[in-house]
Amino acid sequence: MEGPELEAISDDAMDSFLEKFQSQPYRGGFNEDQWEEEFEKIPLFMKKTPSEIDPKENPDLACLQSIIFDEERSPEEQAKTYKDEGNDYFKEKDYAKAVISYSEGLKKKCEDADLNAVLYTNRAAAQYYLGNIRSALNDVTAARKLKPCHLKAIVRGALCHLELKNFAEALNWCDEGLQVDAKEKKLLEMRAKADKLKRTEQRDIRKAKVKEKKEQNQNKALLHAIKARNIRLVSEAASEDEDSASEDLGELFLDGLSSENPYGARLSVDDQGRLSWPVLFLYPEYAQSDFISTFHEDSRFIDHLMVMFGEMPSWDSEQKYCPDNLEVYFEDEDRAELYRVPPKSTLLQVLQHPRYFVKALTPAFLVCVGSSPFCRNYLQGRKVHQVK
Amino acid sequence: MGETSADAVAPAGGVGPAGPLTPEAEAAKLLPFLASGARADLQAAAAKHVLALTGSGPGRALLAGQAALLRALVDLAVAPAPAPASDAARALVNLAADPGLHDPLLAAEPGLPARLLGRALDPQWPCAEEAAAALANLSREPAPCAALMAALVAAAPGESGLEQLVLALCTPGYNARAPLHYLGPVLSNLSQRPAARAFLLDPDRCVVQRLLPLTQYPDSTVRRGGVVGTLRNCCFEHRHHEWLLGPKVDILPFLLLPLAGPEDFSEEEMERLPVDLQYLPPDKQREPDPDIRKMLIEAIMLLTATASGRQQVRDQGAYLILRELHSWEPEPHVRVTCEKLIQVLIGDEPEHGMENLLEVQVPEDVEQQLQQLDRQEQEQCEREQQERELAPEPRAEGAAPT
Repeated sequence: MEGPELEAISDDAMDSFLEKFQSQPYRGGFNEDQWEEEFEKIPLFMKKTPSEIDPKENPDLACLQSIIFDEERSPEEQAKTYKDEGNDYFKEKDYAKAVISYSEGLKKKCEDADLNAVLYTNRAAAQYYLGNIRSALNDVTAARKLKPCHLKAIVRGALCHLELKNFAEALNWCDEGLQVDAKEKKLLEMRAKADKLKRTEQRDIRKAKVKEKKEQNQNKALLHAIKARNIRLVSEAASEDEDSASEDLGELFLDGLSSENPYGARLSVDDQGRLSWPVLFLYPEYAQSDFISTFHEDSRFIDHLMVMFGEMPSWDSEQKYCPDNLEVYFEDEDRAELYRVPPKSTLLQVLQHPRYFVKALTPAFLVCVGSSPFCRNYLQGRKVHQVK
Repeated sequence: MGETSADAVAPAGGVGPAGPLTPEAEAAKLLPFLASGARADLQAAAAKHVLALTGSGPGRALLAGQAALLRALVDLAVAPAPAPASDAARALVNLAADPGLHDPLLAAEPGLPARLLGRALDPQWPCAEEAAAALANLSREPAPCAALMAALVAAAPGESGLEQLVLALCTPGYNARAPLHYLGPVLSNLSQRPAARAFLLDPDRCVVQRLLPLTQYPDSTVRRGGVVGTLRNCCFEHRHHEWLLGPKVDILPFLLLPLAGPEDFSEEEMERLPVDLQYLPPDKQREPDPDIRKMLIEAIMLLTATASGRQQVRDQGAYLILRELHSWEPEPHVRVTCEKLIQVLIGDEPEHGMENLLEVQVPEDVEQQLQQLDRQEQEQCEREQQERELAPEPRAEGAAPT
């Protein structure tokens, strides 16, 4: 749109302006090849405003902008213009830009408290849709300071609290809003919802407490059962420092119980007060292991071995791991000594052995084929006791 | 001037029993000291004296005939500081407790309900508790209750004055100097009036919902009792039962919760209960006041008046709570009420055409039989009560189930 200043043109001038084209071609028209792009650059026909208005790229737009946001206009007028701009962005769901517009409006620090309250409330709405619930809450709080009865701010605030799961606060905001308008539908609905959620949350808290208490009691019963059997526990964390370990054993034990071990099994007590342990069998020859999730303390090792080795395991390439050949050991780690366990003894008998320490609440045993060269090699140089 | 008057009244300072005067004349002599414009210390002394009179039946009867004195007392009771309002306000509480004084009071000061209401709902008023208590006493009788209702309507044109009352009742710390527990019974008395119930049960508002948590209000039996009484009165409106029991109000858990103890239900039973009644802590206490327990049961009973109401009450596991309550309940008359409700819940549905228990026409002979049964039941309760009082020890043993 280069060319003479339009506003200076009078009728005469217009005539002469038009006559001019009798002798020379009009140069202000669109270029046939790229008319669409050029068309888009005219503010009136723009489908979208550019995110940044560059005076070089869009001189017309920059002009218009400077007219709209004329620094000589009153702060109220400018703030209002920003509010309208923000509302337009909001309608287009461009919430980030809406926030910027409303913020600009607030920066004008105009004296109109109602207008500022609206700017805060609208910015809160935009923030809410952006997921910035805390910022939204700050804005509605600011809006209510300016205009305590601003219903939209109260509704938005209640929504924010609901979103943040502050149900009691949401209820308060609803009640305060209903003081302004006792029949506000949105508030009535939200209040019922917040109330329901609050009560459900309270139930969940009570339920968790009951569950926790139950677990504590169970754990205490288990600890008692272990102590009554004279079974020694050792926690991996505490094994460094024996003295304090014995002091804190109960606590450490309870900690260990509340978290299930990696295999998802845990020590349990049945109706007869008998314990079942999760037990680990290690096969050092093949670096294999088996995990028995519930090994009843009165079951014998042979019982489990019979079942487990009723069929050859796939890793047993030499097919020698049959129940009759198997030897069971446990390790006394402190002394680096081994104890051979008769397969016919029960788990309880072994756990009560004075040199048996249950680690991480999961007893572990080494199993190998007694006659194998590996076993002889493995046991060589280590002291091996026989458990009677 | 002040000095001389002080001298002048010095002999009368001892306003106590003066020999030769009749009690009426003596009371009349108090008037100038009580009236507005009198010196504060004299007003205080006179009010103290009137307060003492209100403590006894003859004293109140005496005051009933002293219209001018009653008016002066009301004026003082609602007078702003530095007037010594508190004793006058307490005297009004005592007077209002005596239904025989209601007419004289209202005749002496027709604006009494409105003036007390203004003070009771003034968040800054130091004697608001007394004002509320006087209103609670006054509103027990139909005529003053109607006058109070009219005052409420006039107090806040457009918006119901009841809203202000409910707000004061439901807002902790509404008045820093008065807990306003007595607004509970005030509301309960008002809820005998259809207009008050219409407001409380307006489905386009949130009124009754705000009262519900107060059935668990720990600090005051008066407030709890008032709220429960209000709810019970609301439950007479069977057209609103579906709404009351539905998700928008959900009244039943709030009526059941105070009746629930620390029972540990099975997981399956627990799931049938409303969330508010699930997993209650082992230290859960039942409502300690037997009259409030009875009102709660009666309110639930009213909710079972319609077929759909019975269904909703049954579906929410009310029976479980009442079963446990029944085995625990130490008061015979509450236990009887509980039994009746249990019968409705586990009994067969009534014949077609009689589903609405609040609208069933009872034949005269049946009604007489029922009244006879009620009397017997009443006597039975009283006997049990007496036995218990006479021999508490064996009785306590007898009541083994805990």
